[in-house]
Amino acid sequence: MPSWSLKLSAVFVTLFVLVGSFDYAQAHVKNANAPLQPPVADKPAASAAPPTPTPVGTIGPLLTTRPGQRPPTGTPGPRLTLAPGVQFATLPPLTFTHTS
Amino acid sequence: MDPQLLFWIVARATGVAAYIALCLSILSGIALRTSVLDFLATNRALRSLHDFMTWVWIPLGLAHVVALVLDKTAQIAPLDLVVPFQVGYAPVAIGLGTLSADIVILVTVTSWVRRRMDDRLWRWVHRTSYIAFVTVFLHALLSGTDFSSPLISSISWSAALGIGLLAAARIVFGRLPE
Repeated sequence: MPSWSLKLSAVFVTLFVLVGSFDYAQAHVKNANAPLQPPVADKPAASAAPPTPTPVGTIGPLLTTRPGQRPPTGTPGPRLTLAPGVQFATLPPLTFTHTS
Repeated sequence: MDPQLLFWIVARATGVAAYIALCLSILSGIALRTSVLDFLATNRALRSLHDFMTWVWIPLGLAHVVALVLDKTAQIAPLDLVVPFQVGYAPVAIGLGTLSADIVILVTVTSWVRRRMDDRLWRWVHRTSYIAFVTVFLHALLSGTDFSSPLISSISWSAALGIGLLAAARIVFGRLPE
């Protein structure tokens, strides 16, 4: 076998692997199974302060007393506990009780 | 395409291609001096291929390391290309690649100045190619992003198996004299 044909075959094999690997890497830019996962240097979330949890709010007794009424005795009425994230509004409280 | 992404893809592709070119160089080198393949000993084409493959894997290896240095995510410093086991996040996996590069460069340079060297010393230095191959294979296995691909993995393992078989044959059946 002539020397040049052997060299040409070797170059062809290497180029085939190069192009094939390039195509594969381009199609699979991120590989979750890769053994190395270098730490990302510039994480914007890492520098920012973590969000503080919204304080859990409570609303007073659901059974309120009217003026002139005796306060209820015994255990106080149930209290409504708000889930985290529910915030108190700055709007005036709803006092509209009219029904038609 | 984003340049950083291009560097990353080039680094991966040239890494695999450099590995294959290096395997072809080592395979042709072992085949020349293994007694079980004595019919190849006088094959000038194979000898010429062994010398020629140096000029194939050197640019690919250089492209691999340059792309990794330019890729900011890889976090490889120029010093890491020479001094092994210095990288912060995977010192062994990446350091093995640096070590193999150091050995292969030593083997290549001593081959270029072989006529000025003691023949016995040159031969011992040249035999460190086996260590270089083991380290480059471990580097590919431990840090190769595409090693999980069945096709790339099978090519890499086949090349390693070929070198392992020839090396074993050389140990068992002996080495041909110069």
